Amino acid sequence: MTAVNGNSVLLTENLGMVFHGPNGDIRLFQDLNLRIESGETVAILGASGSGKSTLLGLLAGLDVPSEGRIVMGGTDITALSEDERAMLRGRQLGFVFQAFHLLSGLTALENVMLPLELAGDKTAEPRSRKALEQVGLADRTGHYPQQLSGGEQQRVAIARAFVTEPSLLLADEPTGNLDRATGHKVQDLLFELNQAHGTTLVLVTHDPELAARCQRVLTLDNGQLVAA
Amino acid sequence: MNGFRYALRLLLRDWRAGELRLLALALVLAVTAITAVAWLADRVALATEGRAAELLGGDRALAASDPIPDHFAEQARELGLQAARTVRFPSVVLTEERTSLTAVRAVDPGYPLRGALQVGDDPDGPRQETDDIPARGELWVEPRLLIQLDIGLGDQLELGAEVFTVSRVLFLEPSAGGGFQNLAPRVMMNLEDLAATGLVQQGSRVTYELLVAGDAGAVGQWQNQVRPELGETISLEAPGEGQPAVQQVMDAAKRFLGLSALLTVVVGGVAMLLTIRHYAARHLDRVAVMRCLGATERQIAVMLTWKMVLLGLFTAVAGSALGYGVHLLMLGLLADLLPSLPPPSVRPALVGVFSAQVILLGFALPTILRLRRVPPLRVLRRDLGDNLFRGWGVYPVALAAIFLLMWWQAGELVLALYVFLAVLGTLAVLALGAGVIILLLRRTRKTRGAVSLLLSGIARRPWTNTIQIMALGLGLMALLLLSVVRQDLLATWQDRVPPDAANYFLINIQPEEAGPLGELLADQGLDTQVYPMVRGRLVGINEHRVRPSDYPEARTQRLVAREFNLSWVDELPQDNRLVAGDWWNGDGESEPQFSMELEIAERLGVDVGDTLHFEAGGERYSARITSLREVQWDSFNVNFFVVSPPGLLDDAPATFITSFYLPPERQDLLVRLVREFPSVTLIDVNSILDTVRNIMEQGTRVVELMALLTLLSGLVVLLAALQVTREERQFESALLRSLGGRRQLIRRLATTEFVLLGGAAGLLAGVGAAVAGYVMANALFELDYAFNPWLVLIGVISGAVVVTLAGLLATRRLYRVSPMRLLKGAEEG
Repeated sequence: MTAVNGNSVLLTENLGMVFHGPNGDIRLFQDLNLRIESGETVAILGASGSGKSTLLGLLAGLDVPSEGRIVMGGTDITALSEDERAMLRGRQLGFVFQAFHLLSGLTALENVMLPLELAGDKTAEPRSRKALEQVGLADRTGHYPQQLSGGEQQRVAIARAFVTEPSLLLADEPTGNLDRATGHKVQDLLFELNQAHGTTLVLVTHDPELAARCQRVLTLDNGQLVAA
Repeated sequence: MNGFRYALRLLLRDWRAGELRLLALALVLAVTAITAVAWLADRVALATEGRAAELLGGDRALAASDPIPDHFAEQARELGLQAARTVRFPSVVLTEERTSLTAVRAVDPGYPLRGALQVGDDPDGPRQETDDIPARGELWVEPRLLIQLDIGLGDQLELGAEVFTVSRVLFLEPSAGGGFQNLAPRVMMNLEDLAATGLVQQGSRVTYELLVAGDAGAVGQWQNQVRPELGETISLEAPGEGQPAVQQVMDAAKRFLGLSALLTVVVGGVAMLLTIRHYAARHLDRVAVMRCLGATERQIAVMLTWKMVLLGLFTAVAGSALGYGVHLLMLGLLADLLPSLPPPSVRPALVGVFSAQVILLGFALPTILRLRRVPPLRVLRRDLGDNLFRGWGVYPVALAAIFLLMWWQAGELVLALYVFLAVLGTLAVLALGAGVIILLLRRTRKTRGAVSLLLSGIARRPWTNTIQIMALGLGLMALLLLSVVRQDLLATWQDRVPPDAANYFLINIQPEEAGPLGELLADQGLDTQVYPMVRGRLVGINEHRVRPSDYPEARTQRLVAREFNLSWVDELPQDNRLVAGDWWNGDGESEPQFSMELEIAERLGVDVGDTLHFEAGGERYSARITSLREVQWDSFNVNFFVVSPPGLLDDAPATFITSFYLPPERQDLLVRLVREFPSVTLIDVNSILDTVRNIMEQGTRVVELMALLTLLSGLVVLLAALQVTREERQFESALLRSLGGRRQLIRRLATTEFVLLGGAAGLLAGVGAAVAGYVMANALFELDYAFNPWLVLIGVISGAVVVTLAGLLATRRLYRVSPMRLLKGAEEG
């Protein structure tokens, strides 16, 4: 683990990702450098297949890069084992996915409690109730995902993402599966909570409108990030 | 994270979603089969184990075929011990019209010294324990004898030269005799009445017993005192040694049932292997999300393990409850054969829990635990982790689990290994047969355009179809073997017995009775011969003393420990064939010599030229073996293992024996025989055969229950395969319908597939059962059993019907919904 100076929450150094395909190696990106400061909101735009999701997976520590390193909150996550990265994710990261990814066997409340319980937090329940209250679902705590609308499911997912008070929130097309009106409401909620908690937000989208609400917009093009 | 709580929540959710039902069903059936046997075995064991002293009737017993000298009892009383005498023997009882062979026990007051008799005043009425014994002039009899003779309490019964009143119903007598006496209904009488019956004479087939009970120290002291005086004719029995034969039969039955229960586990295991991969695959996303949210591999493994443990517990509870029910059914089937049993213990339920865990551990956990390695990146890329369950790594664990259970049920490694290999071999042969059938169907499909569509279902899923045919075939084969083949074998055996084979034996004929009795039979036109019979113990071969412990085999040990029946004849009997040496001259002036039955000679390891030494009535009789004979035992004629020419055994104490065929309409002769020769024991072969057949039938019905569970497991495999291929089927059906195929066509396609599947399984089962029957008949029972072509037809039809019904029932919803929903459903998976 290497400590890094400055306020950067997330830092990549000479990041490279190569896939081994049947017709030889495919290089998705090379020497990719990115620094995200605390409290910043950053949107990453890119065409399908440009590697947005792969980059997000690397930034979240869900995968390891072929080259370079990623430093999260002062910790070089590329040097960690999968389990160590999992624990780090539990402590420092929040996720919002396009497909919500709520566990169907658990109620809204239990879904929100899950990351806290995984980390062994004894106050998981009151904290989760509060989080659900903040997303306006205080009366839906006992509902199962399949009993909730798409918008409500995403709000539960947002509550789950914020409940651990992460320093960094990663979102993958958070409104991709929602209609326009609901999508707007979810966007508002996401940015409100982000401000209230002072969380750093990195979101991947191909929706320019959503991207425009971020302080910084980067485009992944030809393996490099360029400011839009 | 509280892995237990999450496991419980997610398990309940999976149950509600129907994802666990087949897995649970397969497991419940397996536990049902195992615990049903365990409940049964446990109760029978409780009835025997804990009451060994009661079974013996005392703390120690002396047993002999001659009266036991009184001083043994006196020595016991001097040491402050209780003593009681009993005499056991088979005898015929008579009413005006009927006769029945019974096992009589004449007892002293005080009997039994341990345990208690259960008696009553009505065969269907309440039972009560008693310390009394029958008063003089009275008999206590088993309920079934009342039914056989159609008499009630207060009626008269003739036993030997005396007439007795039946005064009570004897429900339970703690100490049970061995041998075929066990099969005959029991009769108890007062020892004081015995002499008057005239039934017990020198050479009669009688067991005298002296029971002793009391302070353990004194019992030990008495045992040490009497042991040196016992010699070879009196045996000393301690609790637990009394019924070695019965115990061995019980143990063998328990092992056999236990192992047959494991067939259900094997077939259920196939269903589990089929469903678990499907089940696990549906959980890739869930585990990926948990990994993404910070769950470590260990946390995931703990949760998944808890889930399986909980599933094991729930199914064990359900399976044990069902097993309890099945064991009650078995008890109902075996009611006549079993004594009244103590209430059940909880041990079998624990056996259920243990086996459920072992089965899950072997069949499900290895696959489930692979989930912990789901790449968390799957939350972003759905294709990751799909190949997690590939590979053959899970099968060795499953096989190990099955072997472990077999080892545990068999109680010995070698037997477990044999059964394991036999089951695997059978499965492999069935799988091979199924593979060939599928291959042939695929060929047919290619050459015949018209049937191509009808055969498409079978052809497209060769692997799952092979597994289904194999599993269903195994269940059907077990059922066919137990029903049709068993009947065939029995019929073949009965056909071999000539219709005029002897159906009555007369034993215990005194020398002075032999002549008059032979004349009576001859007067009645019965073609028979009365043979002398000397009971002698084999004490030496050549220069060696013979001891039971010289022989490793239990059967040979018992043979040597018992007394042989020796006889003398002039001519070689008709149903005997000389296989070695020479028969003696029929002029009655031969040298002392023996002719021995071939199988017994092989068992004892002797041949022509060896000298045998027998002891009978205190004298020693020695002679060389000059010939070996093969005997056709099922002629039911009187035959002997060892015979000599007249002269050698003339002075030995002998009784006589004869056998004859008496047609049913001449039964009145029996009453006359028993009245005129009261001490002669009449043995009714038919009633013994009936009893044996009855026992066999009750026994097979119990095993049939086990086979039925195996077949049900086979159906679960069918359902599991349907579940695994459900999406594929839905998609195909939707596609066919959107292309204009009518619902009827789709149903016909499915029906054809099930008929073919079931028919193929039935075909294999029929052929398998016929081959197994043939092998058993020829190798085991030496019967000329012809291949029964009906077996194959019965197999094919029953297989097709059962599988089609179950299959159509399971897929009925699949073909009812609209193509649009089906296509959407297929996407959602």
